[in-house]
Amino acid sequence: MRARYEPVAPFGGFGLGLRRPHYDDFIAGADPRNVPVDFVEVISENYMIQGGRQLRILEQVRERLPVIIHGVSMSIGSADGLDVDYLAKLKQLEQRIEPLWVSDHLCWTRTSAHSSHDLLPLPLTQEALEVVCANIDHAQNVLGRPMLLENPSSYLTFPEDEMSEWQFLTEMTRATGCYLLLDVNNIYVSASNHGFAAEDYLAGLPLDRVRQIHLAGHDPATADRDIIIDTHDRPVIDPVWDLYARAMSMLPQPVATMIERDENIPPLPELLGELDRARTIAAGAPVAA
Amino acid sequence: MNGLADRQAAFLRAILDEAEPLPAGWGNAQAMGMKVYRGNYRSAIMGALGETFERTAVYLGDKPFAQACINHAIAHPPSGWTIDAVGAGFGATCAALFPGNPEVAELAWLEWTMLGLATAPDNVPLNVESFSQTVADFGEDDWAAMRLALQPRADARLVWHDLEALWRALGKDRVERPELRLATPQCCLVWREGERPTFTLVEADHAGAFALMQGGASYGEMIELLIGNDPEPSSETVQAAAMCAGAILGRWLKEGIVVQVNP
Repeated sequence: MRARYEPVAPFGGFGLGLRRPHYDDFIAGADPRNVPVDFVEVISENYMIQGGRQLRILEQVRERLPVIIHGVSMSIGSADGLDVDYLAKLKQLEQRIEPLWVSDHLCWTRTSAHSSHDLLPLPLTQEALEVVCANIDHAQNVLGRPMLLENPSSYLTFPEDEMSEWQFLTEMTRATGCYLLLDVNNIYVSASNHGFAAEDYLAGLPLDRVRQIHLAGHDPATADRDIIIDTHDRPVIDPVWDLYARAMSMLPQPVATMIERDENIPPLPELLGELDRARTIAAGAPVAA
Repeated sequence: MNGLADRQAAFLRAILDEAEPLPAGWGNAQAMGMKVYRGNYRSAIMGALGETFERTAVYLGDKPFAQACINHAIAHPPSGWTIDAVGAGFGATCAALFPGNPEVAELAWLEWTMLGLATAPDNVPLNVESFSQTVADFGEDDWAAMRLALQPRADARLVWHDLEALWRALGKDRVERPELRLATPQCCLVWREGERPTFTLVEADHAGAFALMQGGASYGEMIELLIGNDPEPSSETVQAAAMCAGAILGRWLKEGIVVQVNP
């Protein structure tokens, strides 16, 4: 049975991913806003553990800042259903951290036999939509709150696709009451890889369901590879900033904006500089972040 | 099985095994995309193993380590939700791949054990004073029946190579090869000091004693193990075993490995 939950209230702010090279920056000094961000986001799986330094640091950071937990392994599109052990551990973390919200990706990562540890694409079919919605219902029932689902970047589409990704996301939010984490770089990457207009994607989404935005860098296409790869290993490029400005001009409520960097992680000031650029863009939007 | 389950199984087979034919109906665009997913999978596995087995990678060198990773991923494709779990059994993979260098498997086992300890449940070790107070009124039977809770995920095993010297040399990022072979095997004891996993080499007797006590055996059974296979041990033998057990327990207490008496 589909349960009803407290809605996820809009939270306008600017944040970064909490990554190991920056642990000391975030817990240093007496000022709880030692790092000028409004929230941090952590990769859930890194903290679904029993003890040790990284869990202690997350708890210390949580005393200072709101935290978002963002997963990569829920495998919400798995036809085999969700892993109950995974959900139980995620629930433990959710109770321990009391995050702003819990998010994962519109993708699948594993079958009952094996895991790819990658965000794999779903065919955009009614069958896949039903699988995804059933799995979201399951996860939301365990968590006792609505989730945010992120649009993925993808490197192939399926011959059997029956709808666009934005139609899929729209139906998914309508059927499950979940919200959206809009990754602007992923829209750019997939639009380039599959030949659709990023503006059409934005215009087709239920933008009132968006609560967060991700911004990241990617590996451009090469002479040997006509595909852009989402790598989170370099700064955000100008066309993605432009798309962010476009998205911010369309959103009817404040959202949380975050810079994602998972490889080649630079010193904190470099990421804070990118975050300042996001602040400047958002300040010009009709609804401030 | 439904259609989506079949398609996902075929997709994943194609990622794990590059010889696997691509799903029916796929064209060149899908083949190019699959190439990216295969590359991502390989990078993820290599990255996770490289992070967990940092010193093993330095010791082996890039090419042999990469080969070990590929062999391991083929023999043990990941199935758990955490990518860290991909390192399970990597020591055995190294033992099979490098039979002439058994120190590689010992080093891989050590790094794997330390990874597990880094995220193990936090605990407060029992110090010597607290232990002394707890056992102050113990009679002979109480001692024989005493059981210990040791640090979760702490481990011990016999090793034939000087892992301390090897660890130091690799930590300095030097390619030097210290004299590794030990004259007699020793026990590598691995535990957590506060939040930091650590290890040391101690007398070989610790290995069996640790496995026994961690498995829930009594202190009396540990002494029996140290006596050995002597059906009628002399009083000197029994006394020597009891003294050895006392020394082992003292060392575990000193290192903070004992968490509780009679849990």
